[in-house]
Amino acid sequence: MSHRHLFLQSGFIKTNLQNGVGRFVNQLQRINLIFCKSSGSSKGVREFIETDLVDFARANPGTVVYLKPRRHRGTYMCAEYLNGHKDYITCNNFTRDEVRKWLEYMKNKSGFPIIRLRKHWHTDHPSIQGIWNPFTHKPSYLNVTTFPEKERSEYQPLMPSATEQLLQIAEQVGFLDNSNTNNTTTTTRNTENIPPPLNMSDEK
Amino acid sequence: MNRPISTYKRVQQWAVFGRLWFLFDAKWQNPFDSAEKIAKYLAGKHKPIYHPLSDVGDHVVVINTKDIALPNKEWRYRMYYHHTGFAGGSSWTSAWELHNKDQTKVLWKAVYKACGGSLLRHNMMERLHLFPDDKIPQELMENISDHMKQLRPVPKALHEYTEEEIKNFPKVFEWPEDYVLN
Repeated sequence: MSHRHLFLQSGFIKTNLQNGVGRFVNQLQRINLIFCKSSGSSKGVREFIETDLVDFARANPGTVVYLKPRRHRGTYMCAEYLNGHKDYITCNNFTRDEVRKWLEYMKNKSGFPIIRLRKHWHTDHPSIQGIWNPFTHKPSYLNVTTFPEKERSEYQPLMPSATEQLLQIAEQVGFLDNSNTNNTTTTTRNTENIPPPLNMSDEK
Repeated sequence: MNRPISTYKRVQQWAVFGRLWFLFDAKWQNPFDSAEKIAKYLAGKHKPIYHPLSDVGDHVVVINTKDIALPNKEWRYRMYYHHTGFAGGSSWTSAWELHNKDQTKVLWKAVYKACGGSLLRHNMMERLHLFPDDKIPQELMENISDHMKQLRPVPKALHEYTEEEIKNFPKVFEWPEDYVLN
């Protein structure tokens, strides 16, 4: 961004009331061509008026064309848009072709002043799901729960801990159901005075 | 050209920039790891709309700060330095001493450090509410709408198991009656 852009306003790109959704409305409402009948700098504009202007007016019935001859002044075009914005282009020493090009340029503008875009993307419909808010993707039971709530708070590990794995194995083997009977067997083993780990390995 | 936004969109925008209140249970949590996460929430960095120029941080209410768990020997060897400005005015306070004085101070200092050195730090710290136990004023409790997940599991102490659970816990073998454990 150079010093020329210091006074350039910044903003976001936008359209006029979704122009073009139903039908396109050309935003250029009126174009004034100010020129001198005698000076050389208006020569191109005068040639344009003589040859192309009527075609332009026929092709754009929504645009009013005003011609304003002013003696011994510089020549310029003034475009007025539907949103009330006015735009000027000085046309001194323009050729006929240049005048035609700049007129097309004025015709195709939306009427908003040229701004520095803060973001290079734009959409009128940000998301079909709606705008994100802090409650998006939150489980709905949080609305009726009372805090503190242990299940929501506690850390959930990916794998069960060693103790939990041991309990799972014990449950699969059926250790937990027969715990009372096991206790009795162990007591009997103790009376026999056999070291228990050896006893277990012998059983396997 | 600026057009006023519609009533519906205005309310939507309020919702997007609304501040949430999170509850964090510091029981058995490492305060230095927790501080990193809490600071992230205080700054609003957990949100998809985060931008450093927009003030979108959330509130965090921390309970049970008296039960924080410092790693290794940090209780003894983590020192908090202070200098009064006078000659010989330097002092070092260990973490356990600080914790005895104020049970929220260790976590407060950890979060203060994790918030970074920017000018936003004081505003972020104002959104942090620390409580040594699980008693929170009613007006804060009404605001809370979600939990921050804990960073590590809370171990279950032996006295928290019931008599029945201990009795039915699977044993690989039984010690002999005449075996001396200690």
